[in-house]
Amino acid sequence: MSEVFSTASIRLENLSKHFDLVKAVDEVSLEVEAGTLVCLLGPSGCGKTTTLRMIAGFEEPTMGRVFIGTDDVTNVPPYARPTAMVFQSYALFPHMSIQDNIAYGLRARRTPRAEIKTRVQDAVALMELQGHEKKSPPQLSGGQQQRVALARALVIRPKVLLFDEPLSNLDAQLRVRMRSEIRALQRQLGITSVYVTHDQEEAFSIGDQVAIMNKGKLIQLGRPRDLYRQPADRFVAEFVGVSNIVPVEVLESNANGATVRVLGQTIRSRRPPQDPQGQVSIVLRPEALIIEKAGQTEVPARVLTMAFTGPIARYTVAADDDTVLTVDLPNPSPDQFFSEGTAVSLQLPPEVPALLG
Amino acid sequence: MANNLLSLPQRWSAQQQRRIAFAALILVEVLLLVFIGTQLFQVQAVEDYRQTVGDTEIVHFRNEIVGDPPLLVLIAIGLGLPLASKRLRREPVLLVTLQAAILGLVVFVLWPLAQVFVEGFKAGQEAAGFSLIQFEKLLAMPMVARASRNTLLIGAITATLSTLVGTLIAYTLTLTDVPWKRWLRILTILPLVSPPFAVSFAIILLFGRRGLITYDLLHITQYNIYGPQGIVFVQLVSEIPLAALILSAVFASISRDLEEAAEDLGGRPLYVLRTVTFPLVTPAILTAALLNFISSISDFGNPMLIGGGYQMLAPQAFIQLIELFDLQLGAALAMLLVIPALAAFLLQHWITSRRSYVTVTSGARTGHIRPLPGWIKWSLFSLCIFMAILNVLLYGSIFVGAAVKTWGFDFTPTLRNIYGLGSALPMLKNSLIVSVGSGVLGGVIGIMLAWLVARQKFPGRGALDFSATVMYAIPGTVVGIGYIIAFNAAPYFWTGTFLIIIVAYAFRRLPVGLRTSIAAQKQIDPVLEEASLDLGASRLRTFTRITFPLLSRAFFAGVIYIFIRSMTDLSAAVFLNSGRTQLFTVRMFRVMITGTPSEAAAFAALLIVIILIALAILGKVTGKSFVDLFRI
Ligand SMILES: Nc1ncnc2c1ncn2[C@@H]1O[C@H](COP(=O)(O)OP(=O)(O)O)[C@@H](O)[C@H]1O
Ligand SMILES: [Mg+2]
Repeated sequence: MSEVFSTASIRLENLSKHFDLVKAVDEVSLEVEAGTLVCLLGPSGCGKTTTLRMIAGFEEPTMGRVFIGTDDVTNVPPYARPTAMVFQSYALFPHMSIQDNIAYGLRARRTPRAEIKTRVQDAVALMELQGHEKKSPPQLSGGQQQRVALARALVIRPKVLLFDEPLSNLDAQLRVRMRSEIRALQRQLGITSVYVTHDQEEAFSIGDQVAIMNKGKLIQLGRPRDLYRQPADRFVAEFVGVSNIVPVEVLESNANGATVRVLGQTIRSRRPPQDPQGQVSIVLRPEALIIEKAGQTEVPARVLTMAFTGPIARYTVAADDDTVLTVDLPNPSPDQFFSEGTAVSLQLPPEVPALLG
Repeated sequence: MANNLLSLPQRWSAQQQRRIAFAALILVEVLLLVFIGTQLFQVQAVEDYRQTVGDTEIVHFRNEIVGDPPLLVLIAIGLGLPLASKRLRREPVLLVTLQAAILGLVVFVLWPLAQVFVEGFKAGQEAAGFSLIQFEKLLAMPMVARASRNTLLIGAITATLSTLVGTLIAYTLTLTDVPWKRWLRILTILPLVSPPFAVSFAIILLFGRRGLITYDLLHITQYNIYGPQGIVFVQLVSEIPLAALILSAVFASISRDLEEAAEDLGGRPLYVLRTVTFPLVTPAILTAALLNFISSISDFGNPMLIGGGYQMLAPQAFIQLIELFDLQLGAALAMLLVIPALAAFLLQHWITSRRSYVTVTSGARTGHIRPLPGWIKWSLFSLCIFMAILNVLLYGSIFVGAAVKTWGFDFTPTLRNIYGLGSALPMLKNSLIVSVGSGVLGGVIGIMLAWLVARQKFPGRGALDFSATVMYAIPGTVVGIGYIIAFNAAPYFWTGTFLIIIVAYAFRRLPVGLRTSIAAQKQIDPVLEEASLDLGASRLRTFTRITFPLLSRAFFAGVIYIFIRSMTDLSAAVFLNSGRTQLFTVRMFRVMITGTPSEAAAFAALLIVIILIALAILGKVTGKSFVDLFRI
């Protein structure tokens, strides 16, 4: 199947959508390279679905343009766009068999009967749905319905595949399995995809790039590791993981980096803050901090709580100036369990990738 | 001694206690059966022979037992059947409830209906055995063939047109963005709240020989509303609302995702309409058409009022029975009516059980606005406006008609017609007694049956559900005839009392109350009941303390629904009421035929006001509007 896919890039230019007074999407510009998968990530209500629906053609943008490849599709109706969408509810037609569901898009295009047959068979084989062709959607499990939805979208050979929280109706285990399947399939077919989710872990594990949205705006686009290491602002830093965000005193700042002082320690950043004169903060990831017996290093602290989850022990500690920090201790040995109220000391990383502010 | 007796059971094992309780239960039931038997049979003195001794004639009497042995047998079987199940024997509350339900349905649903058939196959009043003579007679009467054909034809036309218009209205008011939807939604289904034949009457007021629109406004004198065209017109007005309600519910529940998925996969709007939207609502459209067919062919009042001699089965059965006193022929005619109604009902049952796509997925976006070409949208809007205006005119004419001297001739305002209602107050009281009684009785039976059908597992559940719902398909005329045959001839204590009418109405309107209760019952998480049982509460206590409070809104909705339908019934009432129990609608019907239009309008207006009050109470108690009430 893979050889027949011709895929295309997606470009959004200053895309906005206003519902009455709500700016659901606010001047979003974004480029999805051909063959890659971009996740739209953000809290509920931030405009992810609306953005996706404008790409599919269900919502008319208030302003801005949508390009697929070099074609401006802004005013093209959904049925004439080369997109296929996988819905959160799967949206399988309840009055049709699995087979007819998959064939729907081909029939709508008046594809010759014989070709429909072989292409449906291919899609059934690709999604491992053999034996279920004659069943009706409610007879399948959630995971199988998900596969049918995918098969139905793929069989029309879209240039662009769109997913709107496709896994949120599955249980946790199946969710992890389906997401790696979707990822493998997308790689194999090399089809440009936009994938909406509010789950950071899901977005990071599946996306070539992740676009973080908040209140209708695109905040930051980048590879997962770059977002994690160099969040553009406090919102991104908090959204992509548990973060300790602590105000710092800037000692020195130039084009090559900056030196700051926090909790009595001096830390270097490879990137200078945007405004060294203003309020500057540092992001201390819990796994980058080291917790030890009291007295060994310079930052004394006291344990507030401890939660052991198996792979890590997660501490919240308070430094002497009452700064509260979260610290993850991986693979703790028996003498590394500190009870509440114990005095400990913290080791901060000598260098961080970036500063906020 | 008493002490000894009281402590006795404690020495027995739990199993022995259960056995004793069970034996006591059986004893009570046998006594009950004997009591029913004494009520079913009566020793009557009948004339044996006469003897003339001199000048005086001596009449000799002999004692004879009259009654219904088959009914007693049926009751015994009905009570006995559940005892065959071991599961049920272990659960006395379930057992007794089930027995009560079976008893009620056997005596008040199956028995009267069976009587229609038994009577139709009798040669004559006193004859016994099986005979086809009534049907031979029917075949020989040209009226019968004509009435059958007319009935089916009108039924088909009404069902098709009312469903078509109802579907369009429902689509417009749920899925397009026309203005004034809130008001149109109410005004287009207004006819649901009135007695069906009030529509006939109002149409005569507007379009009749001295109709306001035909005569006074358009000066048309040769137009005749009486006849099949009038019947169809009236039935459309009264049945479009039901179709619109059924379809609105379905249109509103179609998930937006489905249509968008179709469009996204390359379906153009009309292709999506044809392949996705329409197939999804087809079962509901068929349901609406079949239910409207049943209601059209059962219609009694409208053909009588506006038919102008056009022969149809329901009025003909009435004429045979009440005016010509031919019980057997009337019953045979009624059978002809039941057959298509029952067939339509079974078909509808089968369709809904097999194909129903109205699944509410949580979080699914439904009822979104479809962009439509302007001319289609405004045509649909005009249709809704037309229906709304027509309904307002019809109801307006009733109220205006009641307030003027003589509609059509003298439009001076007067209170005369309102005072004229004074003579009908006893009938109004009768109707209220009957309707409140049947509302409460039907509500209680409905909730009990819903509990059995929705919550309990026992053999024969489907049959129970079916018996409780089948009345929906039975025309009021047939119910009336069945009750007359079954209960009026026999020496029962309730002949000519309110009780018989109350029971008839309660069981006749049970199906809708039952559906409401079952739907409500299914929405209650069974875990709540299980928690109560688990905490040690008995089944009875669980029902009264947990289940019923959660169901009370559905219960009141059922009560009000049955109340309204009982207040407005005519077709069964004409058979069941007697001199002492004359009902308001029967009186009103007579006034419509014999009185001045304005006198009759006052009756109709009063009835509508009563219904509106009932609906207002419903709104206060349950927060439901009348739109919810008539959903099936
Ligand atoms: N059809 C609509 N009409 C009005 N407001 C809408 C509509 N669709 C979405 N919105 C609003 O736009 C905002 C973004 O919604 P959405 O794109 O669905 O968010 P997300 O998918 O990120 O959770 C929300 O505030 C939502 O309430
Ligand atoms: Mg969303």
